Amino acid sequence: MSLIQGTNLRKTYRLSRRTSVEALRGVDIDIAAGEMVAIMGPSGSGKSTLMHILGLLHAPDRSDGPMPGLRIDGTDAGTLSDRERTQIRARSMGFVFQSFNLVPTLTAAENVALAAEYAGIARGTARTAAREALDSVGLADRAGHRPMELSGGEQQRVAIARALVTDPKLILGDEPTGNLDSTRSAEVLDMLRRFNRERGQTFILVTHDPEVGAACDRIVRMRDGLVVADERVAAVVEVAA
Amino acid sequence: MRLLRELSRRKLRTTLTVIGITIGIWALVVFSSMANQINGLVGMGTEFYADKIVVTDGEAFGSSPMRLAAADTIAALDDVAAVEPKIEFLWESDPPVGFATPHLVAGIVPGADAGHETFDLEIATGRTLTTEDEGNVVVLGATVARKHGVVAGDSVEIRGETFEVVGTLQPTLTSPDITGLIPLATAQVIYLDDLPPLVAESLEAGEVVSQIVVYPAEGADFTAVASAIEASVENSATMTGAEFNESVGATTGIFTAVIIGVATVSLFVGGLSVINTMAMSVAERTREIGIKRAIGGSRGRIIRELVAEAAIIGLIGGLVGLALGATVVVVANELGRASGNVLFDLTPATAAFAVGFSTILGMLAGIIPAWTAARLDPVSALRYE
Repeated sequence: MSLIQGTNLRKTYRLSRRTSVEALRGVDIDIAAGEMVAIMGPSGSGKSTLMHILGLLHAPDRSDGPMPGLRIDGTDAGTLSDRERTQIRARSMGFVFQSFNLVPTLTAAENVALAAEYAGIARGTARTAAREALDSVGLADRAGHRPMELSGGEQQRVAIARALVTDPKLILGDEPTGNLDSTRSAEVLDMLRRFNRERGQTFILVTHDPEVGAACDRIVRMRDGLVVADERVAAVVEVAA
Repeated sequence: MRLLRELSRRKLRTTLTVIGITIGIWALVVFSSMANQINGLVGMGTEFYADKIVVTDGEAFGSSPMRLAAADTIAALDDVAAVEPKIEFLWESDPPVGFATPHLVAGIVPGADAGHETFDLEIATGRTLTTEDEGNVVVLGATVARKHGVVAGDSVEIRGETFEVVGTLQPTLTSPDITGLIPLATAQVIYLDDLPPLVAESLEAGEVVSQIVVYPAEGADFTAVASAIEASVENSATMTGAEFNESVGATTGIFTAVIIGVATVSLFVGGLSVINTMAMSVAERTREIGIKRAIGGSRGRIIRELVAEAAIIGLIGGLVGLALGATVVVVANELGRASGNVLFDLTPATAAFAVGFSTILGMLAGIIPAWTAARLDPVSALRYE
């Protein structure tokens, strides 16, 4: 069953009055629930823009030609207000960005609990959920530390715990291993893979790290704002069940 | 708690902003307390004049003598219940120039008001003046008594003469505190001495007074009585409660306007510095705001968080400003009390207003930067370095 269906997704960024960049030039994408998909491509290929649109951070352009469409979990995303999109992000999505993406004044536990609170979970429950989420990424003993007191790998695991705390259907990662060395990177990947298998959550990871691509079920390759290849990763085909 | 941590992250800037507001609130508290005191005195004056008409010489308000005989003329008029001739002059012929209200001496005829004076004076030591008293005896108001450090039985000097203190009064927080009461006849001699020789030449001590306080009968038309007095006593001027309010009200109105002006300017500056602090803090936290928006923080929530921070800055500034202002008020009043120089009255309403006002000011100042923050595009905010 499709979790995400995007048709003719376009996005043009206006840089100044004269210049604009066509970041997406009509992308069709269909992602099934429970899939773990890597979106790969060189810088400027539109992969981040695609992720922002799929993550409801930006709306696709209403361009001429066939109407662009985006359905997420059965909802037509094109008609949503900012408030509704924010609410879907809070309740049904988790985000993992490149590092330095934690609130520096909050402890690890508070950072994680914040996402739960945004999703409408009461403060006390959010705190318990945050502790469990930190435990699931192996950071229970670091709950009271501030981001500055944590290593890059630990920070990224806190971010993953934050993305998972609401048990969302979809987790989006923008270079989730971008700032990590290969050992840490492998750890983080293992963790994402494990959640995908154990909980059936859908992952979309934007990356140019081939290791990340290899760990996914499927790789969508982009170039110049278009999808140029969409391939299954052989080694892990048996996962879907 | 989280809010305080956010604020403590930029200690210096937050502190400076708080200081800015503190100064504004400090000024507000001090000036308002001064206004309270003045309005209090004016209120007392209003109360004092409420049931009487004060008659003075018409040429120069209160400074030229009236004839004692006029008291009898007035007493004979319709609707006049009681007449109290009186002399008031400064305790020292050359009072020091300063903020303090100079102390007064009042020559009175005890009991002349026939029970119409509603302002009660309570005795602290000794007794009040009686009609039997004559010569150099005095009953001192609380402030005067404290200044000279005397109680009943001691003596004080007035205009170079020694007076026996027969009584001292409880504080009333208004003019009786700074007044020494002496028999009218004694006052007449000093008063005549004080007049310019040209005026004094043709007068006898026994026939001069400086004012006549008239108590109209109950239900009488004060304006009509005042006109009757002016018609029957040559060269007289009358002051009723309504006229007092009119003449003093204009002055206090200007004073209040000046105070509000000063406070507004200082708070405007304080408000701008809150806007500045919050705007910089938003700029610094652009990335963080992007993260919060991306993971599902609503615009309303971002605004609430930042406005709450600004409100806390305002609240702290208000509390510190109030504390400093209160310190100034208490210390200045204590220092001034000895010389009867109580300048400030810090009421609970003023205190509550100052703190409430600065909190709301902080919130309002925080709204603009918070609004800017909430409008940020999460994606650009995330990329912001």
